[in-house]
Formats: sequence, C-alpha cells, structure tokens
Amino acid sequence: MMSDVRYKLHPISAFLNFIKGLKELIFPFIIIFGVNLFRGGGESVADRGWQGLIPVLIAGVVLIFMLVSGLIKWRRFVYWFEEGELRIEYGLFVKKKRYIPFERIQSLNYTEGIFHRPFGLVKVKVETAGTGKVGQADVELTAISREDAERIEKKMEYAKHHSREPFPEADNEVGEETETSAKTVKTIYRMSMKELIILATTSGGIGVVISAVAVFLSQFSDLIPYDAVYQEVMLFLRFGYLIVALAIFLILLLAWVISVILAIFANYQFTISADEDHIYISRGLLEKKKVSVPFKRIQGIQISQNPLREWFGYAAVTVESAGGTFGDKDEKIRLFPLAKKSAILPILGDLFPDMEWEPVMKKAPKRSLHFFYRLDFFWMIPVVGLISYFFYPYGLMSLLIFPAVILFAIWQHRTVGYALTGKQLTMEFRTVSKHAFFMVKKRIQAIEVTQSYFQRRKDLASIQATIKSGMLGATARIDHMERDDASRVLAWYEPSNSKTTDQ
Amino acid sequence: MDQQPKNQISKKGLTVWRVYGVIETAVIVLIAGGAAAVTYFFNGPWWLYAIYAAIPAALGFLLIYLFPKIRWKRWRYEVREQEIELQHGLFIVKRTLVPMVRVQHVDTEQGPILRKYDLAEISISTAATTHTIPALITAEADELRNRISVLARVAEDDV
Repeated sequence: MMSDVRYKLHPISAFLNFIKGLKELIFPFIIIFGVNLFRGGGESVADRGWQGLIPVLIAGVVLIFMLVSGLIKWRRFVYWFEEGELRIEYGLFVKKKRYIPFERIQSLNYTEGIFHRPFGLVKVKVETAGTGKVGQADVELTAISREDAERIEKKMEYAKHHSREPFPEADNEVGEETETSAKTVKTIYRMSMKELIILATTSGGIGVVISAVAVFLSQFSDLIPYDAVYQEVMLFLRFGYLIVALAIFLILLLAWVISVILAIFANYQFTISADEDHIYISRGLLEKKKVSVPFKRIQGIQISQNPLREWFGYAAVTVESAGGTFGDKDEKIRLFPLAKKSAILPILGDLFPDMEWEPVMKKAPKRSLHFFYRLDFFWMIPVVGLISYFFYPYGLMSLLIFPAVILFAIWQHRTVGYALTGKQLTMEFRTVSKHAFFMVKKRIQAIEVTQSYFQRRKDLASIQATIKSGMLGATARIDHMERDDASRVLAWYEPSNSKTTDQ
Repeated sequence: MDQQPKNQISKKGLTVWRVYGVIETAVIVLIAGGAAAVTYFFNGPWWLYAIYAAIPAALGFLLIYLFPKIRWKRWRYEVREQEIELQHGLFIVKRTLVPMVRVQHVDTEQGPILRKYDLAEISISTAATTHTIPALITAEADELRNRISVLARVAEDDV
C-alpha cells in the first residue's frame, strides 16, 4: 500500500525558526532598549538597581521562549505522502493539518541560506495555485535534505502523470527513473560577470536603500530628543555647508555601494534553465534561490527598458505568472534582470516558440500627438506662472519645462503601438521606461476601450488589456490610438467573432 | 465598436442615481450653510453668500439632472453566449469585453436604496478584474446571474 513514512525536517530548522522569530522581534527590541537608554539620560543600566534589569529580564524570557518554541515547532512538524497528497501536520499550540493534492502543487521553490549550505539542505516552498487568502502562506519546509526535496519532486511528477494510481513501491524504482530522466533540463542562459556588474550599478536599488533608511529613521522620529539634536545640528552647521553637502554625498555614495553589493549578492550566478514544462531560475551568492515557473502558468511577458539601459541596448524581462502568494517579493518573476536585448530575443524565441518577439508595430496616428501633452498644461501653466512671478528673474528658467514636457510627449507618442499577430497581442508604451507586453489571447482577462469626448471628436481611442499576475492583475494600456485600431483589437478579442473568422 | 451593446439598464436606475444626487447635493448644501453661518459671524462680504448659493445650485443641477441622465443613456450591456460587453462612462466612454471563458463568478448585491426600488447590481469577476452592472430589476438580475454562471460553465477554452 501507500508509503506511510513520516518525514521530519532537519534539526537545523529549530534554529532557523528561532532566527526567524528573532528577526520579527528586532524592531520591538530596539525600541524597548532605545527608550530605556534615552530615558536613563546617560546613567547606565546597572546604576538603576534591579528595576534597570527589567527590560533585560523580559528580553531573556522572550529569547528563551523563542528558542523553545522553535524547538517545539520543529518537533511537531511532520510531512508524509498519502493518497496522492502531500500531508503536513504542524503547530505550536494548536495542531494543524494541511493536505495538498499533488496535482494542485504549481511549483517547488528552493532557497539555500547560509545555514543550509554546510549541511546540504534546502528550504522548500510549496506553491499552489492562489490559495486566495491574504496572509495564508503556502507551505514552507524550513530545512530538508536535497534527497528529500528530490523525493517530493518525484512523487509530485509521478502523481501528475499517473493520477489515481498508487505510487509504486521499491520494485518499480526503475520505471520511475526513466519517467523523470526523460525530462532533460538544459541551461539556457547564464549571466556574465559584466552583465551582473552593469545590473548592479544601474539598478534602481539605490532608491530602495535610501527609502529604507528614511523609513528606519521615521520609526524613531518620536523617540529622538529633538531639542538636544537640534543643538548638535546647529553646531554642525557652523562647520559650513560644504561639510553638510559632503556628508550627504557620502551617505548617498554609501547607500549606492550597499545597493550594488546587495544586487551582486542577490543575482550572483544568475542562471535560466528549462525542461518541457518548467523554467528554472537560480541565483544568489549567500542565499541561493531556485524558482520554478510552470509554462502553463505564464500569463504574459514584459520587456522593460529604462532610458539609460535603452540607450545601451539593455533590457529587463519579467514574467507575469498566475497564483503565488500575496505580497511575495518574487511575485513578478524576473526572467532576465538585465541583458543585451539582442541576446534576449533569440532565447525568448527558444523558450516560447509560438510567440512573435519582433512583430511590426502599428503606431499611433500623427494627429494624436498633442493628446500626450495637452493635459500637462493644466499643472504647467500655474506652476510656471507662480515660479516666474515669485522668483522673478531666475524663475523664468521654469519656462524650460514646456519644451521638456513636449519633447517627452513626442517620445511617448513615438513609442506607443500595438501588433496583432495570430493569437498574440503585443503592446508597447512608455511611462519613462519603455515597456513591451506580449500577451496571448487566451490569457487576456478583459479588454477595455475608452474614449473621452475629445478623443471621440478626433476619432481616437485608448486600449487597455488586463492579464492575471500573481493574485492581482497587470494592465497594459496604449493611449490615443486610431479608433479603427481599437475596433480591430476588440473584434480580434471577441470570442464569437473570431470563431467565424478563424475557420 | 460602432455597434452599441443592445440592453439598457432599468429606467428606475436613473431615479436611484437622482436620489444619490439629491443626497450628495444635500451634503453640499449643509457645507455651504455652515460656510454661510461662519461668514455671517465674521461679517464677511455679501458676494460670498452669492457663491454659497451658486455652487450648490450648479452642482445640484449637474448631480441630480445632467450626470445621471447622460450616464443612464450611456450605460449599455449585452450578455451573449461567448462574451459579455459593457459600455459606460460620463466624459470618457468605456467599452469592456469579457469572454465567458474568463468569468470566474457572478455576484448580485443590493443596498438599502436599491432594495427600495427593487433593483440589484451584478458584479462579474474574472481572475484579475471585476465589472459591475449597476441597476437591474432584482428578478432580471437574478435571472442574468444564473444565465451567466451557466454560460460561463459551458463556454470552453478552445484557444
């Protein structure tokens, strides 16, 4: 009958649970200690007698609690395979059971942290097709050996191919081997060191770091004794603006360097490989991540180029995929974080042979050009007017906004376009970066055509297509196209219409 | 694009929108009244009163008379075997096409005002979007909901 062996996680996961709990508590901890330190006004903890020890005691109790709960969590966690399901039992106080049919498992994602490496372990995240509820994460096996991970994968593959039949026991081991070895995983792309460095240095990561610092500081805004700080700042200011500017610059530079290092760590040895039904992406230096994306789940593909990268011919590719957990950072799967566009297109052609990667775009008509900047005058005129009035001679410089905005609009107008090729809709548009969406008809959830009063007078319309991405939707929108083009897209999309024309 | 969807929403929907308009206008009148009281208290100039009277009057005209009328005239829907087509909008006309295959579920909903007029609204959800038809006779809405759910089940992914 079924193998009813119950598997446990590797003991290291008790420690990992502990670390994870600690990470969540770090902010409250800092605040508790921070408050106490400031309140003390320089007097050290020991001087306050036993009362001064209260926070330390609390911290100690919490730490022990975390350690014990991590241990119990590990002791309680078991998983096994039964009736074509992955069954899991866990829980600290309340015992919970979760049964996942193998067919429902969309993908297994592996992460190897620094603590996993020495023991040859992986963290496995089992992703199902959109559990729907926010906060209800999919199952995570904190640490299991590679062999165990492979066993889950094999069982899963087997269940998918022979649904309903029981999993064969040891005697059939050979047949199963051929089953899995029939799927050849081939490496498709490996990021070069040069590309990695370009990616790290040009990524927008710097903004993230700065905002993280800002957020971090804002957390403490009520705790910082501003009066005292103010005095310091005044003293500091007397050193002159130069030093202040220098300090800011150094902080920015530091933030940038940190972001570069983080990006290099995260994307080190970025590799794409694929078999018949999955794409595998692995990356990372300290923490190795392997994400698998089933082809079936891919809803659309987006190629983005910010102006700087566009200039040098580089592009980033993201895959919009359905399901996954809500609020997951990897929701949009980056297929190519950065590569030469000329190198990307053949690879995409390999991966998705049915799709057209360089279709001939139908552009927006000339008469729609002024629609791209006309609305901007609503804010430009008052803003420029006020600046010119209040800062009279130099304020006139703000007039330069007009040509800048108009040139930018011309650029947007020249980018916008679409192409209908068979069952595929391609839309290209520019916010600041240039985006191209490649979508297949059967993956588009809805198409909307909008027409304002002014567009109607000029016989123009905007077209918008929504696909599913993660738990939500992703929308591609091209503005101010020929109205006939909008009709064409609608007619192409209309199921009852295409039935008659396709045959 | 050139041919509009054929069904219109219930004529009573227009009345409901007018009721909404009256409520919104009432709120604005209250605010204007408050402003007038403050002006009186501080001996403000007379023309301020004129503004306080003019703004609610103009908004009332738009919210109670004009906007509901245009919106109602614009609102059209059609549920065909293979797809649902919607058209609505005040200044910007929006045409939406949802294939039956993509429909995940249909809800009907009824607030207190809608219930008084025996109306209900229908929401059609796909995996990524939700589309609402705002005012249908309750029986009609229920019938339509059942029809869509049957059609959505029948429709096959042939692409």
